[in-house]
Amino acid sequence: MLYFRLARGYRPADLGRWLLTATAAALVAALLLRALGRALGEPAVSSLPRLLWCLPPLAAVGWFAAVVGRAVPAARPERIDGLTAAGAGPVRIRLLVAGEIALACTLGSAVALLLFLVLRNDIADPSLAADLGMGSPLPAAAPVTLLVLVPLVAGVSAACAVPLTDPLPTGREHTAPTGFGPLRIALPTGLLLTGTALELYGLRPGASVDGRPVALPGGLGDTGVAALVGWSLAALGLALLTAPLLALAGRLLALGRPTPLRLLAGRGLTAEARRIGTPLAVLGLAAAAVLAAFRYWIGRPGSSETLTSVEGLLVVACALAALLVRAAEVRSARRDVSSTLLRLGAAPRLLFGAAALRVLAAGTVLLLTGGLTAVLAAGALG
Amino acid sequence: MSAAPPDNDVLWARGIVKSHHGTPALRGISIGVREGEVLAVTGPRGSGKSTLLGCLSGLLPVDEGEVWFNSSPVHTLSRLGRERLRRDRFGFVGSEPHLVPELTARENVALPLLLSGAGHKAAYTAAAEWLERLDVADHAKRRPAELIQSQRQRIAVARALAPLPAVVFADDPTAPLHREAKDQVLRILASAARSHQLTLVLATHDPELVKYADRTVALLDGRLTGPVAPVPRGAAALTAGR
Repeated sequence: MLYFRLARGYRPADLGRWLLTATAAALVAALLLRALGRALGEPAVSSLPRLLWCLPPLAAVGWFAAVVGRAVPAARPERIDGLTAAGAGPVRIRLLVAGEIALACTLGSAVALLLFLVLRNDIADPSLAADLGMGSPLPAAAPVTLLVLVPLVAGVSAACAVPLTDPLPTGREHTAPTGFGPLRIALPTGLLLTGTALELYGLRPGASVDGRPVALPGGLGDTGVAALVGWSLAALGLALLTAPLLALAGRLLALGRPTPLRLLAGRGLTAEARRIGTPLAVLGLAAAAVLAAFRYWIGRPGSSETLTSVEGLLVVACALAALLVRAAEVRSARRDVSSTLLRLGAAPRLLFGAAALRVLAAGTVLLLTGGLTAVLAAGALG
Repeated sequence: MSAAPPDNDVLWARGIVKSHHGTPALRGISIGVREGEVLAVTGPRGSGKSTLLGCLSGLLPVDEGEVWFNSSPVHTLSRLGRERLRRDRFGFVGSEPHLVPELTARENVALPLLLSGAGHKAAYTAAAEWLERLDVADHAKRRPAELIQSQRQRIAVARALAPLPAVVFADDPTAPLHREAKDQVLRILASAARSHQLTLVLATHDPELVKYADRTVALLDGRLTGPVAPVPRGAAALTAGR
């Protein structure tokens, strides 16, 4: 009942987060059910690879749930304060937030299951028969067991991500360190350089004569070991470099004798580099991989696989939604700062300009890292 | 329409009424603040001190009544006009420092000057001077998160004083401070007001701090109760020269 009481106080932003979680869960559930349907239709074929293919979207939903769980206390501090005052400890607040997210995932999974059952009941086009396992009996425990996975993964990752709240309001001024140690920059740079060199070595003229031994799934052809490992290393390096690059962009913005606009935009970006960096890196990586795959498929008509492309798009959508949720979290965490600045007499236009400048700088960093990852991926795919 | 306020009052209010969502906070307050004086507004929590400061500074629009600053009306100004007035002529210190967390102490103090269009060098020089005066010059390059609350509060005081505003509103500025720091911060506020001819409106519920004021008014449940009799001009001048 408490969840329904809490849901009655939802604002559009809360509702949007809830619906996004439910939609992502529904899509993953649909993928899992499709794997189940296939397994029912062709019991002889091993269904393990198909189930393994469901792991990346499941991981994406879990991560998205973690981001959502983290954003709740910052977005609704008064709700957390109220629950704390009512006697709920940090553990209960975690459980409550995780329960809310798991509930959204359960609803999404239930919708997917309902659709699956309705389609199986002879409504679907015969071409889908194999995917739905039509004609073979459906053991009741199978879909339920499979679909419990989604809310479970999402709930557990959200519960782990909810930050412990500080009972005293003075703790809010505390911020994470803004600098990055030399190792934190040297390691990803090394990964990037090694990866790029390895990939170039794998793609050197004459290497293709040796043949391309690694077959990629999803109709993506095959590639060399060196190119694949090189791309993985370089992509990891670029992803890890995103946050330091954001901090650097902030520093560059506030370089020299900055105007208030540049000062606020730059310092704000540097301060939030850690928080924004992770979802931005994940988005860059996912978008780059999907872009490279689509480019490959467009070049070779008939090679594309619907399942893989849907999965890829789902991961990208989760990453994008996570970035938006994180941006909203940062915005609500900075409400105090904005009101302070307005009180000092800063024009609202100045604050808007600073935010726009930050978005522009973050977009540039995303284009840089994501673009480089995509180019390297396209090279590895050939 | 009323007549313009007396010339020697920098800030003047008549019959201001203000309520927060139906809860009356001020029930008809008339008050005049003379140029260069330190006026203490005392009263228990919830007596309307903060609301009075908000109304006088144009932060809150009044429901009824008039507020005049330097013979020009504040209560009729648009939102933008009030923002500009606050930026150019008023300074604030609250009970919480409310610093911008990603800026260093010096940048925080220089920010109001930069916002009102001062040059980079002038703003940073003034910021360094005020940090020196408030004993936090050693922490000029640190961020608020690295400092303790009393240091942050001193930075907030420096930020309010650095642009040399006409009126400084201090709403319980010593709430987060220990006794010694309290005295130091208020001494600096009061002496800065006297040496730079700033007007200081100080809201406090600490009876010990009233000794820094030239004049005290007491509020209770949104009405003035205390000794509102103005000090004669001569006496005010004497305390100002002290």
